[in-house]
Amino acid sequence: MARQQGLFALILALAIAAGAVLFSFPLQLGLDLRGGSQLTLQVLPAGAIKTVQREQLEAVKEVLDRRVNGLGVAESTLQTIGDDQLVLQLPGEQDPTRAAKVFGTTALLEFRAQKPGTEREMQGLLRLKRQAQSVLDLSRRRTSAEPAQPAAPGQPPAQTPSFPAEDLAKALRELGVSVPPGAGETEQIEALLDEVNKRVVALYEPAALTGKDLVTAGRQQQQTGTGWDVTLNFNRQGGEAFAKLTQSIAGSNRLLGIVLDGRSISEASVSQEFAAAGITGGAASITGNFTAEEARDLEVQLRGGSLPLPVKIIEVRTVGPLLGAENIRTSLVAALAGLALVAVFMVVVYRLPGAVAVVALSLYALFNLATYALIPVTLTLPGIAGFILSIGMAVDANVLIFERVKEELRSGNTLIRSIDGGFSLAFSSILDGHVTGLISCIALFALGTGLVKGFAVTLGIGLLLSLFTALSCTRVLLRLMMSYPTLRRTTYFLPSRQLTSPAA
Amino acid sequence: MTTSPSGPAALPKIQYFRITRHRRIAWWGSAVACLISLIGIGLCWLNPAIGAPLKPGLDFTGGTRIQLERACAPNCPAITVPQVEERLGDLKLPEEGGAAAPDLRGAPVQVLDQGRSIELRLPSLSAEQGNAVISQLAGSLGPFKDGGTSVDTIGPTLGDQLLRSSLLSLLVSFAAIALYITLRYDRVFAFLAILCLAHDVLITTGLFAWLGLLLGVEVDSLFAVALITVAGYSVNDTVVVFDRIREQKTSLGAFPFSDQVDVAVDATLTRSLYTSLTTLLPLLAILFFGGSSLFWFSVALTAGISVGSWSSIGVAPTLLPLLSGKGFVGSAPEDGSAPAGAA
Repeated sequence: MARQQGLFALILALAIAAGAVLFSFPLQLGLDLRGGSQLTLQVLPAGAIKTVQREQLEAVKEVLDRRVNGLGVAESTLQTIGDDQLVLQLPGEQDPTRAAKVFGTTALLEFRAQKPGTEREMQGLLRLKRQAQSVLDLSRRRTSAEPAQPAAPGQPPAQTPSFPAEDLAKALRELGVSVPPGAGETEQIEALLDEVNKRVVALYEPAALTGKDLVTAGRQQQQTGTGWDVTLNFNRQGGEAFAKLTQSIAGSNRLLGIVLDGRSISEASVSQEFAAAGITGGAASITGNFTAEEARDLEVQLRGGSLPLPVKIIEVRTVGPLLGAENIRTSLVAALAGLALVAVFMVVVYRLPGAVAVVALSLYALFNLATYALIPVTLTLPGIAGFILSIGMAVDANVLIFERVKEELRSGNTLIRSIDGGFSLAFSSILDGHVTGLISCIALFALGTGLVKGFAVTLGIGLLLSLFTALSCTRVLLRLMMSYPTLRRTTYFLPSRQLTSPAA
Repeated sequence: MTTSPSGPAALPKIQYFRITRHRRIAWWGSAVACLISLIGIGLCWLNPAIGAPLKPGLDFTGGTRIQLERACAPNCPAITVPQVEERLGDLKLPEEGGAAAPDLRGAPVQVLDQGRSIELRLPSLSAEQGNAVISQLAGSLGPFKDGGTSVDTIGPTLGDQLLRSSLLSLLVSFAAIALYITLRYDRVFAFLAILCLAHDVLITTGLFAWLGLLLGVEVDSLFAVALITVAGYSVNDTVVVFDRIREQKTSLGAFPFSDQVDVAVDATLTRSLYTSLTTLLPLLAILFFGGSSLFWFSVALTAGISVGSWSSIGVAPTLLPLLSGKGFVGSAPEDGSAPAGAA
């Protein structure tokens, strides 16, 4: 009996430890339960690299890691999958558009000088660009349902930028942009802007300086106006290149173009005063009249460096926090209802040992949750399903044992002998059932992806723990109870009519 | 063994029934169910609208699924599928990467939870295009709850990967389980356990083929999870009966093998039924309280586990005497192949 008491003390200690673990380490909830965005990125081969290797994937991951950290989303995770994929989880992030912009681009920053003799063409293009951009900005503000700044009463509303239809048609025609019939004004302007940007980039010389020589990037609010600038700091080599570049165009009407991933994001003029030495000191700023958010995203991309290989977003999953909360609520209700039904069933069918099994099963659930918190396992919807299912399988071990105990009792054995016999006879089938279950869990975990993996982990943990609780907790509790003579009654195990029927 | 105090002279009394006497019913039942499943899978495959053994969901085909919860619960004004479809046709989406925005006309639309939420199945959209769909629909069908939205975009390559890895893990676990049972029991047992497993997986798949044909139910990655779980459960359940049959060999070795099987099935019958019941109870709880995201998952598991219990009671034990020859586990099978001995 001392051995039972020792084991009982151990189980009690484990239960308290599990409770403490749950109290101090919160369970990690998956994005489907708490809301957020998940992006799967595929790294594409480019240039001389025909297939993506492990090192290249790691290099891409490193750059993205820096961008993730720069973005400041709490508890974001970035993992590699297979040979050429990355999964990025951003809890709480509701707008995958932004994330896609920050992570889906290579962020190759280039500084280019304008080709000589293209001043007139450039001016025309930039005028068109400004006009198109301001109209687009206005219409975006309108559709994003932000109330426009109300005009002061009694005053006429502020002048709004517009793009008269005939001017637009003329510009489209001149640039040779074809728009599909039926396209609205916004689509036409977008198409125009695209073409203008392409032509602007074509007017620059090849890159003189790239983001490789960038040390850090920051942002600051413009002193006039509400826009933001992105500031840049180059290393020594970059600073020299930048000085040379600015010197070459200072005082001319040629512009300095800042090109990100082949798109012109800003153009700056360099005044006469820098004609002697160029802009020295290794610092520059991009004045693109950015919004605070745009400036931050750009800063993050630049600071993180450029991606060694292009990436493509192949999967985006976004779950709203309300939907996540709903998922938690329903699966919690289902888990509790399932447990309650099983508990009632066990007590009705197996009486005293049934009640013991309910205690053991509660311990089992507690140990499971503590293990999830400790490892840690991120709980997702299929994970919860795996947990609920493993409860069903844990019960099976108890059912097997108690059925054997009943058989032993029916064939006339004493209570204690029957209990011991029940455990030892049921052991081999319990073991076989659990081992085969674990085999499939291992196969699922090793070969499965995403959801399947989460399911395999929770089911696997469940199977291991149920082996422990069924064979030790149930047994110890039952043996301990048998040390009290009042509980040592066969009718607590078996209805008397079954006992009296001869076991021929 | 202490199970039978009256000794090997008498066969233990059978409480419920002798399964081997009903074996033809069991075999026919299973054969018919397998046939119906195969027909369903075949019809799915031949159906030009599906063209696969099962109606593949977004996880396998790639595309964008948008789920929107309307902000008017509990009394939402009625909204109909044609209404949503009509709006969908009028949407203007931004271009992405030079490619024209996909046409959303005719995309499948579902109105769920008594009109409280809308689910759209669209071709693959970029994040920006997805946002455009939501903001434009909000104008005519909204308002939608902030935070009640879910957008899933899955590239078709990811679906291929998922399918391949699910099938591979299923096959690898088949093989590993067969090996384990061969080591612990023998080859005939392993063969029958895998046969049962295939039977259970086939019927569950067949059910979803028919559901896909008749109700348009699609299978997603959770279905793959469900099938693998059914496989695990099926083996577990079969092994318990096999374990009991093997145990009888020592106490009832003198009786014909079919009698041993009858005794073993009879003795484990209560346990088999109770176990499937206690596993089904939580599943039924998910089915009724678990919400729409886990509904078909629980249907698949409920069906698979029910079929799994059936096959481990009615199919595996009754085929055992047939394949094991005259009566003893481990003796040469009748079909003349190599003796089935544990490795």
